[in-house]
Amino acid sequence: MAMAEPPTINALEIDDGRDSSVQDFTDNTLAALIHGLSQTPAEANISITLKRRASPMACMINPITGALEASPGVEMHRKYSWPGKTAHEAWKFSELAMFKNQSGRYTEHIDTITRDIYYIDPEFFRVQYIVDHIVDDLAYTIGVNRTALNVEAAAKGLVTGDFRLIRGSHILIDAQSITEDSLIPRIKDGDEIDISRVRWVLVIEKEAVFHRLARTSYHTRALAGEGIMITGKGYPDFMTRTFLRAMSDSVSNQSRHPPRFYALADGDPHGMAIMSTYKYGSAAHLHQNARLSIPRLQWLGLRVTDIIAVPEVLGDTALLSLTMRDRKKIVAMLRNSPVWASDGPEPEWRAELQRMLVLNLKAEIEILYGCQGGLEGWINRRMFRQE
Amino acid sequence: MSKQYLSRGSADNAHLVDIFSLAITDKQILSTSGASSIKVHSTTDADFPLVQSIDGAHTIGCHHIVTNGNGSRAITAGFDGEIKVWSCQDGHWAADTKLTADLTGADAWAIALSEDGQYLAGVTQEGRINVWDLAADGTRIRDHETKGNFGTCIDLSPDGRLIASGHDDGAVYIFTTETGRMPFSLLGLVNPVRAVAFSPKSKILAAAGDSKVIVLYDTSSGEQIANLSGHSAWILSLSWSDTGEYLLSSSFDGKVKVWSMETKTCVATHSETDKAVWNAKWLPKVGKTEGFATAGANRSIAFYREATG
Repeated sequence: MAMAEPPTINALEIDDGRDSSVQDFTDNTLAALIHGLSQTPAEANISITLKRRASPMACMINPITGALEASPGVEMHRKYSWPGKTAHEAWKFSELAMFKNQSGRYTEHIDTITRDIYYIDPEFFRVQYIVDHIVDDLAYTIGVNRTALNVEAAAKGLVTGDFRLIRGSHILIDAQSITEDSLIPRIKDGDEIDISRVRWVLVIEKEAVFHRLARTSYHTRALAGEGIMITGKGYPDFMTRTFLRAMSDSVSNQSRHPPRFYALADGDPHGMAIMSTYKYGSAAHLHQNARLSIPRLQWLGLRVTDIIAVPEVLGDTALLSLTMRDRKKIVAMLRNSPVWASDGPEPEWRAELQRMLVLNLKAEIEILYGCQGGLEGWINRRMFRQE
Repeated sequence: MSKQYLSRGSADNAHLVDIFSLAITDKQILSTSGASSIKVHSTTDADFPLVQSIDGAHTIGCHHIVTNGNGSRAITAGFDGEIKVWSCQDGHWAADTKLTADLTGADAWAIALSEDGQYLAGVTQEGRINVWDLAADGTRIRDHETKGNFGTCIDLSPDGRLIASGHDDGAVYIFTTETGRMPFSLLGLVNPVRAVAFSPKSKILAAAGDSKVIVLYDTSSGEQIANLSGHSAWILSLSWSDTGEYLLSSSFDGKVKVWSMETKTCVATHSETDKAVWNAKWLPKVGKTEGFATAGANRSIAFYREATG
């Protein structure tokens, strides 16, 4: 394997779902809480301390893993106390305690979906992402990944193309026999994916574009040969990223002519940010990125400058002006993310964001439907150029 | 009659990323780009050496730089939204510390500086036009509303009487500096305008952009005098020669054209690169020969001089 695994994640422990660190953490925390309740209010110190995941400001590109990671030495803690100084803190504490009540489930072989946790008491959790935040902070504190808590979000991504998922010694899925696109399968540690029969893997930002290409089976008809198409439907979830990473890792072991990994995203700040999430990871989950990043991912498009170069084919109506929100997002990306830094790993990405600002333009992939040979023709030419 | 301009060298890879803006003084050329530094090259030496690099000027890059007539002051507008004032002494540039004008919070995308360097005009991303008096603590002395479309470019007339702005929706506006009124409304372009420039005698305003034509307006009446067509890609910048005899334009496909005002025709076309030339500017005359500099997505500054005799 080319990438070094971070030390905090022990693949075997996670695999059997009986990671003792999860059980220990739960037991110890509950014991401490009960002890606290038995004391007089004055001396009781009823609290739960969680390690906070590093803020997006304090991160860097790790040159070894090629992932967006927390800068060394920035570890923050947050203590949630009861009854707490403010109503907000009290609420936060109850939220955590509530969550821990579900602790029994973590150690059973039941996969809980974050959405289920939310629906235990939607009024209490208020919005789904609060659940996601707690799950992430908890996992980070214990030093395991989400799967060790047996908590996962529902599958979101789609994949189509020829791959084989191998668990232990038998083939779990042979996608060659599957003709339509399907939900991305859950990958367990130790699983292997064989993609030796394809020449390329195309990561597509948008679901609609994915469906358009899947409907015509582009992955079997491309000039570059057979391929696999995958979409996380916008910002990818962990399962999509895990699956992609497993494919990427399998390529590292493959000898000559490994398949190429391409990203096809809109030429706008969101498209660029989504591509960055696939390649380097997300700022919100820095501790996960080292095992999910895809350093080999290449930028197929769409660049705003690609579109301007062929206006006679597309007409000038194909381009959209940036909104003020787009402009603000671009400036924030340039300013805050090490991916777009002047000494960062992607000078071309940086230049593209700046050109968008100067031209006040963005371009959506759908524009390519109208170009010569359609979207398929454009991808054919572009893959050929990047070979 | 066509003219010939010969390549006189270049500052290769002057910046690590696209060069967006050039400013010319009598002896130097200043350039800004998507990188954080401002580069200063000498135009008096034959090989255009780098004489100064102002590092860290704008952390996330700088899209506009302008200078006053005698080259003692430069103003830059960065992608971070900051506007900075620089002063030059004996050919060396530094942040202007003597200036009391406070431009923090001054909002502008494209900028223009008056000949004497006292007035800074800017157009915002919302299409608002502002003028600041740098001799009076940077007070905003004008604030004009337009239809609210992104302001891509702005210019101040050399006689100081007029301000013109170009916008994303093709609109071109003209204001008199004295009253802050629009003397007339101009028939704009269909597509985004990316450059506006007053002629040296302030009698003509040139505007161009994605419509690929250069429109010339009479600044006393607002009437269109001529349309110069010949570019086959978006026009990104315009520059008048000292005498007003020639207009220089650069475009997205790497072409640079010189237009004669006498015949209203293109007299020279250059295409050294196929990448966008974000900016092209005339250089000070050497003897009787004119010359210009171009810069853009190929990251280098190229210099041209008129072929003589």
